[in-house]
Formats: sequence, structure tokens, C-alpha cells
Amino acid sequence: MHTHTRSLLAALVLTLFCSTLALAAPTAAAPASVADDKPVGLVQAVRPPLLLAYGDVDIWDENGRVIQKPAPGEKMSTADAAAETPDPLEGWNRMWFGFNDKLYFWALKPVAQGYSFVIPERPRLWVNNFIHNLGFPVRFVSLMLQGKPDAAAVETSRFIGNTAFGLGGLADVTADLKPYKPIPSTEQDLGLTFGYWGAGNGFYLVWPFIGPSSGRDTVGYAGDYFLDPASYIHPWYWSIAAKGYEKVNEVSLRIGDYETLKDASVDPYEAVRDAYLRMRFKKMND
Amino acid sequence: MKKISVLAGLLLLTVCLCSPAFAGEPLDRLKTGVDKVVDILSDPALKGAAKKVERQQKMRAVSDSFFDWRELSRRAAAEHWAKFTPKQQEDFVVAFSELLQKTYIRKLDKYNNEKVSYLKEQIEGNQAFVNTLVAMKDKSIPINYVMIKRDQWLVYDVFVEGVSLVKNYRTQFAKILVKDSPEALIQRIKDKIKALDEGKNVDDSVGKDG
Repeated sequence: MHTHTRSLLAALVLTLFCSTLALAAPTAAAPASVADDKPVGLVQAVRPPLLLAYGDVDIWDENGRVIQKPAPGEKMSTADAAAETPDPLEGWNRMWFGFNDKLYFWALKPVAQGYSFVIPERPRLWVNNFIHNLGFPVRFVSLMLQGKPDAAAVETSRFIGNTAFGLGGLADVTADLKPYKPIPSTEQDLGLTFGYWGAGNGFYLVWPFIGPSSGRDTVGYAGDYFLDPASYIHPWYWSIAAKGYEKVNEVSLRIGDYETLKDASVDPYEAVRDAYLRMRFKKMND
Repeated sequence: MKKISVLAGLLLLTVCLCSPAFAGEPLDRLKTGVDKVVDILSDPALKGAAKKVERQQKMRAVSDSFFDWRELSRRAAAEHWAKFTPKQQEDFVVAFSELLQKTYIRKLDKYNNEKVSYLKEQIEGNQAFVNTLVAMKDKSIPINYVMIKRDQWLVYDVFVEGVSLVKNYRTQFAKILVKDSPEALIQRIKDKIKALDEGKNVDDSVGKDG
């Protein structure tokens, strides 16, 4: 009886103690800088403005992981750092951005609209699957180079499954099959592989026809070219035509996305740049 | 008997540990908001081009009660916010939220029964992070929300495929604000809204990089 009471008491004390801690913790952990406007001024007075702009007022990163508070000398989260990739050729890039914009509105979009008027959405999704399935070599090689054999194996079985049982890749029959254990994203290419190895973007670069890129991704893109089956179609103009058709089919499924981004932004060039760099960063780490 | 009391203590402990988190409140709130939007968009009485204005008005009302426009604007202006006079801050919040509502409500009009799944919720002090996944026709897109507790939980940032709404604007605004005054930025946002209202083709407004 005696020990019984004592252990009950001990449990109660432990409970009370822990719940006090738990109750106290959220208030203690609440970042002072985000509560209202006043403390922000305070933070600003103490820290350099860059710190306020990047990282320190955020608790989570883009995926919902808690951001480790910056170590001394570190100024922003890694995604923010990637988005800060220098743009030394801005004038040049803006010119090609304008060119691609016109290309989209004057050529690509009308063609894609006409195409989607003639071809219903479902066949266009089949084409999309087929093209994605053919892109297997890029993903496989990239995953192997990133040292992710599990993901590469899963990707291979998807490729075999879709090719054999999905009418040569028209149907994505393996989409709902889950690997027996979680694997990293298989949507990888060589540019992302270099990034995974630790290479930075270098600088931001806009290519005509291809669109936003970076120094690193340009090298990766050149490598991907040799892993893309459509590059080996003979003669060369059929290869170009195949790639052009790929693009039109892809655009036909995405009409409206670019328009919204452009409508909503005050500086579309900057908006696309930031979106490109952050999306690539997320893909690299998925 | 000793075992039971320890067990009871542990049980009590779990209950106490969980309760201060008010588990599920931000997620529920977000879900209510998204459901309201989906209801408006799939309401047969509000379908069609004729009902567009009415539909958009309702969407605005919903977004106003689920977004903290001031917090969102403050974070988008980042370190430049302090340079704004209170009047400018007010104008900026109004203009910026107008631009966002105008463009994204138009985009949501294309909603086609995409399914939203709510994956995870984290609460830290007066803020919360909710992960969701939206199933599109050919792929699933992660859309995450950051919320802050005022009278209610309100959204102040949205991440689409790793791109933060607030930070995307922060880069744009910062670039303008290092050269120009807050007044010029507000004017620029207003100009953009005007251009959209006049139904100017989107391709007319490219390359205005100031």
C-alpha cells in the first residue's frame, strides 16, 4: 500500500512537472519578432537588415521542416541562398525573357490552344505519359550518379511496367504503386545531380526557347540531351520536330499557369527567376 | 498496482502534453476555408459567366476572412516595411491584397474538382504550418500554408512546389524599393491592377523593369 501511494504520487508530480514545462514551452519558444510590429523594430535595431529579410523570422522552410537557427556567419536558409543566385547578365537575360514571352503568346500558346481544341485532354495526357516514360534514361543515370540505387531500381521497374503493360508508356499504370519503403523523388536530371553533389547554380541564365536556367543547369541540360532518346531521331529535323511537339503537348496541359504568374507580379522577370531557382532547389532535395 | 499507477500517470502526461497544442485547430480552420472556396466554385447556382461577379465577390469575402493581408504584406516588404509611413502601409496592404485576389481568384475559376489532402500540421507558438497535396490531372502538387493566430488562425504565406508567395514578392519589391520610394511601389501595383481591369492582354505588360 505504501509503495503504491508513493508511486502514484511520483507519477502525479512527474505529470504536473511535465505539463508545466509543456505549457511554458510554446510561449517561451514563440519568436518575439513575429508577434506584432513593435518587436520587429527592436530586432531590426540589433541585427543587420539582411537577417530580418531572410530566415530569422521564419520558423519553417518550404517543406515544413523547422529551420535551424543560423550558425554564426550564416545569414539565410539554404533555399533562400539558392534563390539569391547572382544574375550578372540581367540585361541579356531580360532580353531573352522578353523573347520567350513573345514566343509563348504569339506562337506556342495559339498552337497549343489549337492542338487542345482538336485533341481532347485524355489523349494529351497519354502523350505526356509516353514522353515522361521515354525520359527514363535521364532519371536513371541521374539517380545512380546521386548514389540512390533504390530510387533508380524503382524507376526502372516503373519504366518496365509502363512500357510492357501500359501500351508502351501511354498509360501510367504504376503511378499508384508504392515502393515497399519510401524513396527519394525520382524526378531528377543531371543539373540537379551536380547540385546534389554540392555544385552551386553559378549564375542565373535565360536561354531562348529553353527558358530559365543557370550555369550549372546549362551544363546538366547539355548532358541530358545525350540521354534523351528524341535526340537520336534521324534526320535532325525530325528530332527537332519531335521535341517541338513534346513542348506543345506539355504547354497544352499548362495553359494559364504562366499567365497567372505574370498577371500577379509587378516584375514578371524577377517572379520567374525566384520561382525557377526555388523550384529547382526543392526538386534537388526531394 | 504500481504498474497501473505509472500507466495512469503516463496517460495523464500524454493528455497534458497534447492539450496546450490545441491539436488540429489551424488545420480545421484551413480546411473550412478551402471547403468554402470549393463550395462556391462547385455551386450550380453560381456557375457560368453571367454569375462571375457574384462568384468572385463571394470568393473575396472568404479570402478576406482567411488571410492576414497585413502580415503577408509586411513580410513581403521585409526590411523596407519600416520605411513606410502608416498611411503608406495601409495603402500598400490594400493594393497588394487587391492584386493577389484579382489574379488568383481568376485562376481558381478554372477549378475542376481537384482533390485536396491534408497531410500534416505543426504548431509553434502562435504560428502553424500545414502541408497539403492537391491532385492535379497528371501530377500532385504540394501546397503548404503558414498561419498565424489572431482572433482566428489566418494564412499569411502559401508555398506552391517550394515557391513562397511572400518571398517571391519580397525579391520583386526589394528590387524596386532600393531604387524607388514606397509611394512608387504602391503606384506600380495600382497601375498593374488598372491594366488588368482594362482587360489589357497579358503580353502587353512584360519587360517593364523600371
